[in-house]
Amino acid sequence: MLQIEPNNLLVQKTLTERIFPDSESLRSVDRIITDFDFTTYHISTLPDQKNLLLISIYLKCFGDLTKYGVIDYLNGKYAKYSQYLSVLSGNDVEQGYDYSLVLDLNELESIDDEGKNDVINELSFLKRHAMAAPFEKAFARYDELTQTYANSNTYSEEVQQELQNEEVLVIKYRGSDECIYIKPSFDRVTVIFSTVFQDETDKIFGKVFLQEFVDARKRSVQTAPQVLYSHKEAPLDIQNYVQGKKDDENKGYITFVLFPRHLVKGDRRDNCISHIQFFRNYFHYHIKCSKAYMHSRMRFRVKEFLKILNRAKPENVDDEGKAIENRKTASGRRFDVGRV
Amino acid sequence: MSQSLKPYLTAVRSSLTAAICVEDFSSQLVERHNRPEIEVDNTHNPELILNPMVIARNENEKILIEPSINSVRVSIKIKQADEIEQILVHKFTRFLTSRAENFFILRRVPIKGYDISFLITNFHTEQMLKDKLVDFIIEFMEDVDKEISEMKLFLNARARVIAEAYLTPFD
Repeated sequence: MLQIEPNNLLVQKTLTERIFPDSESLRSVDRIITDFDFTTYHISTLPDQKNLLLISIYLKCFGDLTKYGVIDYLNGKYAKYSQYLSVLSGNDVEQGYDYSLVLDLNELESIDDEGKNDVINELSFLKRHAMAAPFEKAFARYDELTQTYANSNTYSEEVQQELQNEEVLVIKYRGSDECIYIKPSFDRVTVIFSTVFQDETDKIFGKVFLQEFVDARKRSVQTAPQVLYSHKEAPLDIQNYVQGKKDDENKGYITFVLFPRHLVKGDRRDNCISHIQFFRNYFHYHIKCSKAYMHSRMRFRVKEFLKILNRAKPENVDDEGKAIENRKTASGRRFDVGRV
Repeated sequence: MSQSLKPYLTAVRSSLTAAICVEDFSSQLVERHNRPEIEVDNTHNPELILNPMVIARNENEKILIEPSINSVRVSIKIKQADEIEQILVHKFTRFLTSRAENFFILRRVPIKGYDISFLITNFHTEQMLKDKLVDFIIEFMEDVDKEISEMKLFLNARARVIAEAYLTPFD
């Protein structure tokens, strides 16, 4: 399992069980599902109407996302299922959650299996879609900028100045220490992740990993986005936006520069968004994996050392655990070993 | 085995064999006590402590052998070229010392300036074969270097694979 899937398997499974039930009678469901970055889903049937399924999501950074039009974006995403999927707005949203949807199972009955699966899939991508909103916004801004500067000299100082002042989108997806910063420009979009390492080992493993990210592009995957890494110090682009402690030893910044080839509208852009927003999860997941591997390896090695040490223990020992020399020669005589 | 490692290990082997010449010896200060003389403050009876010796391959790799009448303390400094190796050695020695009771001769805390220490007393040499104990220490020194560099290589290889696996799907 090298990649982390952008959808939530448990949401998918819960919904599948519900939409394709084994038995006739509808049982009520009440399930809380957690995901990366303090995300929580709540899937429950409404108290009196078992055919209505309430799906809610909580995201730590929803406040930031709302600034970047997440609600409109999600509404747009789920609009095509409006026949059986209604979005709750304003005060109707389940308490403690940020975004709620109601799925009408009776209405869904009339749809063929393929259609049902489609809805299930789309709902399991709920978190991905929510996080995608600011990326979409930044990419749209990039489209605009490309148009604006298509015929102007982008090397001129005024243009450079304008681009410098372009607004940076900030998503504090794990509190103010770990954020995503997105800065659109006319020929690229810069995505910067700030991350905090829990301990010294994580930090050093992280450094090794990031070095490889930086080098991978030079070596084999030339078409990949450019990756830059800076430890402790925030890149200049976002220095004004960084909150919290500025000189944290355990903090690192990873910059991805997305080029026009990654931002081609359609599948590629969607793919790019799903992929990049999971960077932190992917990165930290693999640090933990290597640590776990090291641990099992050390365990094995220690066992080997023990075996070698145990070879030093003679097999024949007397009651006090002292070695007895009772080897005999072919003629039956004993070795006489004098111990001091 | 590299050119300089062999003489280093040979020197360690013969020095250890010579140093582990211990006998039962009761404390001269406390009645009915029998303690490893190398571990206690021996300003009153310096005759129980022999001259310590250091065998060094280079400034990063050395071994300290401190013999006494009934115990020998062996401390090893493991090669650490960069911070990755440092963290790996630290983790590995911690892993070992936390299992010290299985290792009989392993000391829970290393001597200052060294990564891992062994304490061999006369009771150990009575229960175990001396040559094999020396073998163990030599093999330990060989394997630990190998293990650390293998782990480091593995970490780099893994990092490369995951970096490529992450960056490839962008296109």
